Amino acid sequence: MTRLVEVPTQFDDRSFDQFAAAYAQAIDGERLLFDAHAADWASPYGLVGLLAAGEAAARKGERPLLTAPANPDVVSYWARAGFFREAADLFEVHGKVPKVKVAVESEVLLPVTPVRAAEDVHVVVSTIQQRASAILSSELGLDPKATMGFAMALSESCQNIVEHAGTGGWVAVQAYNWRRKLARRVVVIAVADAGVGFRHSLEATQAKRFGERWGDAAALEAALIQGVSRFRDPGRGQGLAGIRRYLARWEGKVAIRSGTARIAIVPRWDDDVPLKDGLPAFPGSQVLLIIPEQETEKGSGGPSKQ
Amino acid sequence: MVHAILQQSVAGFYADLVTRPTGRAVRENIERDLPAGSIAVMDFTGVGCLDYSCADEIVAKLVRDKVKVLLLRGLTDAHREAIEPVLAGAGLAVLCERADGALEGLGASEPAPALLDELVERRLAARNPGGSFRLTAA
Repeated sequence: MTRLVEVPTQFDDRSFDQFAAAYAQAIDGERLLFDAHAADWASPYGLVGLLAAGEAAARKGERPLLTAPANPDVVSYWARAGFFREAADLFEVHGKVPKVKVAVESEVLLPVTPVRAAEDVHVVVSTIQQRASAILSSELGLDPKATMGFAMALSESCQNIVEHAGTGGWVAVQAYNWRRKLARRVVVIAVADAGVGFRHSLEATQAKRFGERWGDAAALEAALIQGVSRFRDPGRGQGLAGIRRYLARWEGKVAIRSGTARIAIVPRWDDDVPLKDGLPAFPGSQVLLIIPEQETEKGSGGPSKQ
Repeated sequence: MVHAILQQSVAGFYADLVTRPTGRAVRENIERDLPAGSIAVMDFTGVGCLDYSCADEIVAKLVRDKVKVLLLRGLTDAHREAIEPVLAGAGLAVLCERADGALEGLGASEPAPALLDELVERRLAARNPGGSFRLTAA
């Protein structure tokens, strides 16, 4: 039997739970059909999250199916963002996918890129430094020094996969106008994997301390707020703490979804909920970092049409 | 120096000190020729991005487990931003040589004066007329 998992038409962190709810209904052994034919926009978070779902589905059963977006502009954008390059290994893709070069435009600072080992993190950091510095300083109004901090935050986000996920994952970085929330440009880092997730990673060292409260939400709180790590090495847990410091300085946002919970450090400009529990279960971890343009009077537009 | 060791320690040509495996490889390479309790100088000239994990693997672990005084030079502001919280969080400190030659502590404030005293005692550093410290020719 094939189960349909609908990809939201506007696929980002806000609509991800709707996607996860459809995914969570699948029974082991069922073949999944991820239907993106009606998609007309996807954030980097949506794209890497869809790949994580594909990997998890393939692990549980037959190779999943994916219907590509019907809108030629959208499917072309997904292709240029590097999505189909990775999707080809995970899904049986249906629909017309154009053969285009990946990341030839300024919006895609880093196309969808696999992260499996430390070497991949080096490639990501090197690429982003070449492509992002102009965007960060001239378009977002960040101090040029912030470029290096951005690379550090990106590096630490990717390392969570290498160090803790127990499997590979993906990262993507894009810049776009964000009318809905800010009327400003933003740079978005999205990292996703279908690995063991924070709760499993921290269980051996933290579950006892939390007692009955232990679960996905407590694990996220321990990692992001308290800076704990599964390693007993006293220097561990620096990565997420460093990301928080960087984002606090630039009024950025971090949100991490893992299992059935999602935690966020919410800046003034956002109305997200700091901690949500009881969400539809989804494998691994999905990390979202948003750094906004620093000048409020500049910037306009909305999520770029794809 | 650190940049050169990075090239020796890690497969491929990288200018960035990122990830724990990279940091571990670089530190182990440095430790091979470094007697315990020594005073060591590390030059970060040529190093691009330094992340927190690598700062912990290299700098914090060398200070905690291997050297008596660690003097860093060639640091950018971004390098400092990675190293400072890692050291401060562990109650550790190093000395930095600024571009003007003055020495200053980086990391936890408490251990830094003793590091300067150690260099002065060994005649490796001296006080400037303005009160700051600099390395001697020794």
